[in-house]
Amino acid sequence: MPDFSHSQSAHCESGVAANLLTHQGINISEAMAFGIGGGLFFGYLPFIRINGLPLVTYRAAAGHILQQIAAIPGVRMVQKKFRNRDEAMAELDRALAASIPVGLQTGVYWLPYFPKALRFHFNAHNLVVYGKEGDEYLISDPVFPKPVRCQADDLVRARFASGALAPKGKMYYLAQVPEKLERRHLIVRGIQAVSKMMLGSPFPLIGVRGIRFLAKRLGKWPQRLGQERADLHLGHVVRMQEEIGTGGGGFRFMYAAFLQESAAVMQEHRLQDCASSMTAAGDTWREFAAMAARICKDRARSDDSYAAMVASIHRCAAMEEKVFAELQKWTKQHS
Amino acid sequence: MEIPDHSSDEGITDGLKIVSYALNSKGEYELTPDFVWSPVNVANHQAWREIEKQITKSREKVAAGRVSCLHYYMIANQMDTGLLAQYTGQPRWKVCLHLIPFIFNRLPASTLKNYAKLYKISPDDLIKGRLRPPIYNPE
Repeated sequence: MPDFSHSQSAHCESGVAANLLTHQGINISEAMAFGIGGGLFFGYLPFIRINGLPLVTYRAAAGHILQQIAAIPGVRMVQKKFRNRDEAMAELDRALAASIPVGLQTGVYWLPYFPKALRFHFNAHNLVVYGKEGDEYLISDPVFPKPVRCQADDLVRARFASGALAPKGKMYYLAQVPEKLERRHLIVRGIQAVSKMMLGSPFPLIGVRGIRFLAKRLGKWPQRLGQERADLHLGHVVRMQEEIGTGGGGFRFMYAAFLQESAAVMQEHRLQDCASSMTAAGDTWREFAAMAARICKDRARSDDSYAAMVASIHRCAAMEEKVFAELQKWTKQHS
Repeated sequence: MEIPDHSSDEGITDGLKIVSYALNSKGEYELTPDFVWSPVNVANHQAWREIEKQITKSREKVAAGRVSCLHYYMIANQMDTGLLAQYTGQPRWKVCLHLIPFIFNRLPASTLKNYAKLYKISPDDLIKGRLRPPIYNPE
């Protein structure tokens, strides 16, 4: 039986990155991988539709974290995409025969070990294949507590799912890693990239401006769409924010965990303060989600309303603006 | 977010234990297992109710003979004509035509086999118009 240390994580991409690095002997937590990969983001992109509902994203585009990890000096990551299914599976088998654990991008809908309730057409799920027994692949799926197994047949379908973000059989593995990871520099770089995106975006739909834009639009949903459609849109926002893979609070808690860990690495209490403010922002996002859920369920309390939710999202925007301004100031002193 | 002292019911994950980030009593973050936040359940149930509503509507349409049974399989597997076209490697307008019963009943065996393979059913199911459960719900 091939050996791979599986550890469960909250988000698939940072989990895969952390697990692959740990396998190569570089101990790194999921939150740290998320942070140095610059995984945090906000975007409200109503012109992209998912099941007919506008896209709200709390994280960087799929593949961003891995790209950043691959760009670390000394790390060499081999990435391949395929047109031909047989070729893709043969290449995977070759890597496994050389006992290299391989990361894959897959479509969740076709993975039979996933619980029924989560089987949507979502194509940017990452997992690690670390072995093959007969016709079954041994898979370390970071959101599952234990390694799982999957038939070759189903895995091919998952690797060649169609639709938005089609994986096209994408596979990747680490070919080379440095002996020791120089974390301090990577932490500064990761924070710098995220705060720049959150504060300095010229587009009104992303970063803190995006959060305010969402608040403005959300307030108008009941008049524009009618109550039923508005509730559906609202439920969609809550799902994007809180569903499995986010670590809770739209990735804000995971980022706070990263800041906390960085504070220890850098011996810097200011980062610890930022972690606390980030947690507060995450809590406010949760407050909003809880209120939204009550409205969706027709159990609204007397002070629950779309206007109240707008106010709560504006509070999130203000809090994050403050945290990232502080972080930006900090990175300027350290670069 | 602080660790709650009770774990919520299985809910959306069908018993899958997930992990989330939460603060422990010392104010440090740790990954805590077995914690599904209930508003997520609400939102997810809402999404599934919407899907089930569409499936019921599609069943009625198929029964009334207004669309072919391919429409049911498409909706039950959360697809639209565009996605189905991509999966079967055909232009979208062809898929749209195949939703019309008159045209669907005259499709060649090869096209039916293509659809049947995608939904893991037999071509016979499509010819006879049997409505089997979607792919994530084998019975």
